[in-house]
Amino acid sequence: MQRWWRVVAAYRVLALAYTVGVAATGAPPYRHELAGGVVLAALAVWTVVTTVWSLRARDVPPALVAADVVVAAAAILLTPVAVARADVAGGASTLPGPWAAAPVLAAAVLRGVPGGIAAGLVLGAADIAERAGLAQNTVYGAVLLVLVGGLGGYVVRLSQRAEAATAAAARLEAATAERERLAREIHDSVLQVLALVARRGVGAGGDAAELGRLAGEQEVALRRLVATPLPVVDAHGDVDVRALLEPLGRDRVTVSCPATPVLLARGYAEELAAASRAALANVERHAGADAHAWVLLEDDADSVVVSIRDDGVGFDPSRLTEAARDGRLGVAQSILGRMQSAGGSALVDSTPGAGTEVELRVPRR
Amino acid sequence: MCPGAEPSAALRILVVDDHPIWRDGVARDLEGAGFAVCGTAGDVAQAVRVATATRPDVVLLDLHLPDGSGVDVARALAGIEPAPRILVLSASGERQDVLDALTAGATGYLVKSASSADLVEAVRRVSGGDAVFTPGLAGLVLGEYRRLANDGPADAQPHLTERETEVLRLVAKGLTYPQIADRLVLSVRTVQNHVQNTLTKLQLHNKAQLVRYALEQGIDE
Repeated sequence: MQRWWRVVAAYRVLALAYTVGVAATGAPPYRHELAGGVVLAALAVWTVVTTVWSLRARDVPPALVAADVVVAAAAILLTPVAVARADVAGGASTLPGPWAAAPVLAAAVLRGVPGGIAAGLVLGAADIAERAGLAQNTVYGAVLLVLVGGLGGYVVRLSQRAEAATAAAARLEAATAERERLAREIHDSVLQVLALVARRGVGAGGDAAELGRLAGEQEVALRRLVATPLPVVDAHGDVDVRALLEPLGRDRVTVSCPATPVLLARGYAEELAAASRAALANVERHAGADAHAWVLLEDDADSVVVSIRDDGVGFDPSRLTEAARDGRLGVAQSILGRMQSAGGSALVDSTPGAGTEVELRVPRR
Repeated sequence: MCPGAEPSAALRILVVDDHPIWRDGVARDLEGAGFAVCGTAGDVAQAVRVATATRPDVVLLDLHLPDGSGVDVARALAGIEPAPRILVLSASGERQDVLDALTAGATGYLVKSASSADLVEAVRRVSGGDAVFTPGLAGLVLGEYRRLANDGPADAQPHLTERETEVLRLVAKGLTYPQIADRLVLSVRTVQNHVQNTLTKLQLHNKAQLVRYALEQGIDE
């Protein structure tokens, strides 16, 4: 951002030097030299004020840019005082000349394309008003101002986005590096000890077995934590579904994923993860206290598939249709709804005594 | 170093792990179960040296070693004759490492939180030539076949038969071999063979890739 204010300041100073230089050689031809001199002097003072301000302050206030536009408009409108009417109508340069584009650029830096175009329109209108009429050879200055505003705003926004993307990438890289460092440290120390306590404890029996079981749970949780990829949205707006599913793993829930990222548009990926969570919540509620669940993530050529299976008590599938008929729209319906909103499908299969299987499928666009 | 003259010809195990406490704990468990621990190693170089010298039946391999990865050990051991069976026992959760170790020649994978009984059982099965898959590993292998299919011309890549895909998916969904056999009306042996094949094909493909790379680099000259 600061860089763009420097560009505006540089343009402003150069344009002022040009305008003053050209005025010294008699263009536009002044009929009232004192008036012209006073306006140019005022512009010079204003140039110093805005340049110093924009280079020093952290943020340039919108009021300053608005004042900038007003000053330029005033200078344009004062042109007929110093320059003969005939020359003005004939397309002679305004008093500020190319300097008038500086406030347009400032507005573009501050507010992007709309800001640049708005300032361009205001000053263009001032230009036309000062010439008291439209003619092909006079309207072109106004058009130029609007173009400068629009293009300037576009380029500034483009560069700001690129800058933001670079900064985000650098942050991500730093976060990933730190995470990997932590993962190494944790692997080298805590995980080994926890795993050992778990083994020895369970082997020893009694109270030690309970401690061992707890240590084992923590080992699994910690390993998952350091191994789970960060849920990052990439440049195409895709996320790695693995990053959303891995955290669902528990002592009794095993999550299996491919070694490579499974990318899906963010909204769909979140629906898929939410439906998976709902299915697991259902396992917890209905499958029985001893039930285990397995979550499998697969990356088909044309769709992303998540299967959730448990080895719990299961149920008679006809109960699902019954429930739907009676208007009891349970978890199965909320899972189905989520999948349908993502353009996908959900299959539920169960046998009493042999667990339940849910298959969620979201097609790739 | 190895009690090779034992009457029961106990399976000889090499334990590779950089953590002495863990190494000793596992060694004790294995000896308690009647195996002979013929050596331990704490890094890649030592593991290859000890394995070459003692010719163990099974190498219990951690992937996280101070001078490299267990994957390097698996690659080096694939070259010795007869190659020992390798069971990866890792806490790393590094999916790519696990996959690399398996395609380099390891035939089993277990997480370190597995119980003593599971470990003993896994060592037995690996020593008999069976592949030991966790649901997590099945998910990785399925993903690897999909990746390969997307990667190049279909006929140049290994692929799973429909039956193999079916079996592997059921393993990944936590079914035991007998449960899978029951569901697909197959024998447990056949299920085991299908799982085995999925791994063997990946390993052969990996070997072929290495040979092709060597030829391209002119190492054969």
